[in-house]
Amino acid sequence: MTTYTRLKNILVSEYKLPPDALLPDARLDALGIDSLGVMELLFKIEEEFRITVPSDQVELATVNDVVAYIERLSEEQGTAVSAQQSTP
Amino acid sequence: VRRVAITGIGVVSPLGNSPEALMESLAASRSGVRRLEDSAYERLTARIAAPASFNGEDFFDAPRLRMLDRFTQFALVAAQQALDRARLVFAESDRSRAGVFIGTGMGGAQTSNDGYQTLYGQNSDRVIPYSVLLAMNNAASSWIGLEHSICGPNFTYSTACSSSAVAIGEAAMRIRSGQVDTMIAGGTEAPLSLGPMRAWEALRTIATEDPDDPATSCKPFSKNRTGMVLGEGAAVFLLEEWEKAETRRAPILGEITGYGITTDIAHLTRPSVDGQARAMQFALADAGIQASSIGYVNAHGTGTQANDAVETVAIKQVFGEDTRVPVSSTKALHGHLLGAAGALEFAIAVLAMKKGMLPPTAHLAQPDAACDLDFVPNLARRAPGLRAVMSNSFAFGGTNAVLVAAAGPER
Repeated sequence: MTTYTRLKNILVSEYKLPPDALLPDARLDALGIDSLGVMELLFKIEEEFRITVPSDQVELATVNDVVAYIERLSEEQGTAVSAQQSTP
Repeated sequence: VRRVAITGIGVVSPLGNSPEALMESLAASRSGVRRLEDSAYERLTARIAAPASFNGEDFFDAPRLRMLDRFTQFALVAAQQALDRARLVFAESDRSRAGVFIGTGMGGAQTSNDGYQTLYGQNSDRVIPYSVLLAMNNAASSWIGLEHSICGPNFTYSTACSSSAVAIGEAAMRIRSGQVDTMIAGGTEAPLSLGPMRAWEALRTIATEDPDDPATSCKPFSKNRTGMVLGEGAAVFLLEEWEKAETRRAPILGEITGYGITTDIAHLTRPSVDGQARAMQFALADAGIQASSIGYVNAHGTGTQANDAVETVAIKQVFGEDTRVPVSSTKALHGHLLGAAGALEFAIAVLAMKKGMLPPTAHLAQPDAACDLDFVPNLARRAPGLRAVMSNSFAFGGTNAVLVAAAGPER
């Protein structure tokens, strides 16, 4: 499963968002996920992707920004392969 | 003089989640206290409490729910009920002439409990990101203000078991003062997670479970009383300046006429006859009535040895040694809602006046010579024509708060 699909699954299950709305360039604030919501989303991303999100501020405006951020952190933290394997 | 109309009451309680359900349970002397079968509570000595039958998912969608501790969920639902019943929609111009005052003793205790469980119990650092926002004591009042776009004063009062009586009294004062025209005021508490419950138990104030029927464990004013039982819920009032309420033909349930406050200074927890009596006298003086005008007193009546005997003496000091004023502690049935107790019990007093029904002091099987008032024992009583009622709330920390309400116009 791609990072995008896994993120989409979180957004659908946890935020009850319609899958059709979750296009890569969809803006998070337009989806109802404000700056506070992003804090919580990152917490869930840490669990799903087995990565640690650093505490420094990061600008995440769109779904694609989040995907890129997850992939960068996975790469840096060497969790990209194992995380994918652990997902059915 | 600006008068304060009660135009809406909302309730989430161990006796039902509406004023009607609450009063029906009280009239039938039906207890909300029960044994807690969930294994989460197996370490408690007294596995009894009065939980509200309340599921947040019935009222809030999942993303919203994750931002709301149980005490805030209660408050939001009760506030909405109060507004609906008052048939009030805030107009743009009213919003800065309106405020929210909520009392709570323990705030987001469940979130704190769960966070510590994660941190210490599971030895995990995965404390949820919203913990601070869920647990903060002013979360409930803030969310009510946000929900209804109310931009006047928004305060949270925390004076332990008198918190919400204080919140309502202070809200009434704000309307009288002319600063605001409309107030949402009440209290909320959700203390039924293991940490807070064990803490209360450690204080040795919790009743022992009745071996025959756990639902009867709390026995205020009875000789065999052994303490209080914790409950959860919220009660929220909509208060409006009288003329405004009349002009918009709001349903007026009653009027807040008196508010009395004293603070005991002798001891942190020991109740004082003098402090309680003076709070009642101040409330009567504020209402401009004699004690003999009061037709019903909803007692603080926790069911502890100390409180009930002291409160009996204090009531006699105010109402007279041989007073026949009906007094009941409804805590026998709904438990002690701590910071929400004052609001719930004032709601009961106001609704009792409206319905002409005195709720009983349940489980009063063995009279105590030290508690010799008319406690409306065990069975509700019809009492048409009540014109004024009183509700007592006395707290650890010493804040004694007494509210007096008068009947609204006949409609």
